[in-house]
Amino acid sequence: MAILELKEVTKTYNDFSVVKGFNLSVSKGELRCLIGPNGAGKTTSLDLITGRQKLTSGTVHFDGKNITKLLEREIAVLGVGRKFQVPAVFKELTVRENFEVSYTERIGPFQNMNPFTKKHSRKHFNEIIELAALGDRLDTVAGLLSHGETQWLEIGMVLMQKPRLLLLDEPTSGMTEQETEKTSEIFKELKGEHTLVVVEHDMSFVRSIADVISVMHQGNMLAEGALSEIEQHPKVKEVYLGTEGIN
Amino acid sequence: MDGNLYHNRKAQWAAYILIFVLLALVPFIFDNPFTLNQFSRYIIFSLTAVSVSLVWGHGGILSLGQGIAFGMGAYGMGATMQMQFQDPVNDPIPTFMLTNELEKLPLVWEPFWSTPIGLSLAIGVPTLFFFIFGYMMFQARVAGVFVAIMTLAMLAAWYSVVYDMQPFTAGFNGISPPSPFEIFGTQIDPYSSTAYWVCVAFLVILTLGTKFLLHTKFGLIVQAMRDDPERARFLGYNVAYYQTVLFTLSGFIAACAGILWVMVTQYVSPTSMEIMLSISMVIWAAVGGRTSLLGAIIGAFLINLGQSYAGDEFQKHWLIMLGVVFVIVVLFLPKGLTGLFESILGKFSGNNKGAKQKA
Repeated sequence: MAILELKEVTKTYNDFSVVKGFNLSVSKGELRCLIGPNGAGKTTSLDLITGRQKLTSGTVHFDGKNITKLLEREIAVLGVGRKFQVPAVFKELTVRENFEVSYTERIGPFQNMNPFTKKHSRKHFNEIIELAALGDRLDTVAGLLSHGETQWLEIGMVLMQKPRLLLLDEPTSGMTEQETEKTSEIFKELKGEHTLVVVEHDMSFVRSIADVISVMHQGNMLAEGALSEIEQHPKVKEVYLGTEGIN
Repeated sequence: MDGNLYHNRKAQWAAYILIFVLLALVPFIFDNPFTLNQFSRYIIFSLTAVSVSLVWGHGGILSLGQGIAFGMGAYGMGATMQMQFQDPVNDPIPTFMLTNELEKLPLVWEPFWSTPIGLSLAIGVPTLFFFIFGYMMFQARVAGVFVAIMTLAMLAAWYSVVYDMQPFTAGFNGISPPSPFEIFGTQIDPYSSTAYWVCVAFLVILTLGTKFLLHTKFGLIVQAMRDDPERARFLGYNVAYYQTVLFTLSGFIAACAGILWVMVTQYVSPTSMEIMLSISMVIWAAVGGRTSLLGAIIGAFLINLGQSYAGDEFQKHWLIMLGVVFVIVVLFLPKGLTGLFESILGKFSGNNKGAKQKA
């Protein structure tokens, strides 16, 4: 069953269509990679799903519910978590505080004035610290973390939200090889229970994690399928991978 | 755990208690009524700086319009005190209205016959106004310097209103209620230690209440929104709602300060809504350290103490000096005097990690 479904999604600025007639269907528990050359409309698609930008036409359904016209926060509350291309964390708060804020069981201002609400997150918190490997950095101000650590912090924050669908925009950019490897392990652990959509440029990373790959080109779907099919696809080779294929 | 004593919660509470006890002891040290009245005014200014620290230092909302709530609270209190003096039968209309050719008491003044209703309005109206004004701004995602411009413009508008509505507000001259504020059958002499302690009590309760609030998750969330409102929105928080609540609370605190101001000065005029006063509140908080409530209190105290006692020579150049101090703070001490104190403590505990970023 499809947890995320985009139908004929179009986004137009003036006369230029960044995304046009884009269809995408992601089933529950899947790990989908979204690849494509710069300007293909990958990040814009994530913006359209999460409500950051409004669609010109088309619909977005999440878990059977039409979320096309909802606000960012309403979509987030339904269970869609988003990691940004440029890591967005709360730089002046510590790692621990970043995680605490991201635990969003209670969302209203007055509920959160209760001094005892902080404690509820404990168990979930420990699991995520372990996953993100930030155990010894808890009292460090997030602005002082390395780029790779910041990426993991943001992934951890998105997980604290307990989302059913995670949208991750270039999660491994700026990571070392070991860090990338660790990230792919994290993602493999997450799929199944969560659904993941990963936008990525690093093809060796895509190779290590992907079930199904969707290739975007000029705002539309160019090809979709398993790794081997994509590698053999002549048009994909031409516009994106180069003639050598994935290596 | 971080070794810096500055970040130790217990040490923080101890510092607050120490300062508050010292402030409460002031009447035993100076029994000169004039000095005591001066100190009451510093306490009230400290309270406005606390409201700025809450909304700007913690919420990242630079409000230059705290004077709106301060002034509304002050006019509410002024009207209440004026009507306490008036007699319903023989002398129902304040003198300034008679000279402005009003023949009966305006409808908006009627509720102030009752002291409880008058006080409720003095607090409730500015708080409600900040809620509505804040909601309109934050719903439209107004942020950063545009908040400063909008609040400043709103302040200027209110200033013109109270200035121009002479029959209702006594215009430029302001209202000077002839007798001190009376509550529970006793008059509170503005020069008495009772008046001073009332001010201290307000400062203590509102500051500790605010500090307590900032230690809840609500406090953490608003500080997160100060860093990155977009991120908070994608976690599912209603940023506009949180900011509105925070802005309203700061308006409430400023309104309380306005009420105390008239209790202590027995006078209210459009100066309470002057742009200079609201900007001063921001400077006090900035110099003391906007990310610390206690820092804001100390900043307001030191600057006002300086202004009163720097001597006549300095008096002429006071604004220039204040400007220089402000520029120095902005350039070298972005977290004000408390930030300086924080790095010094950090050096002593041998752990300066993150001292510059984190309160």
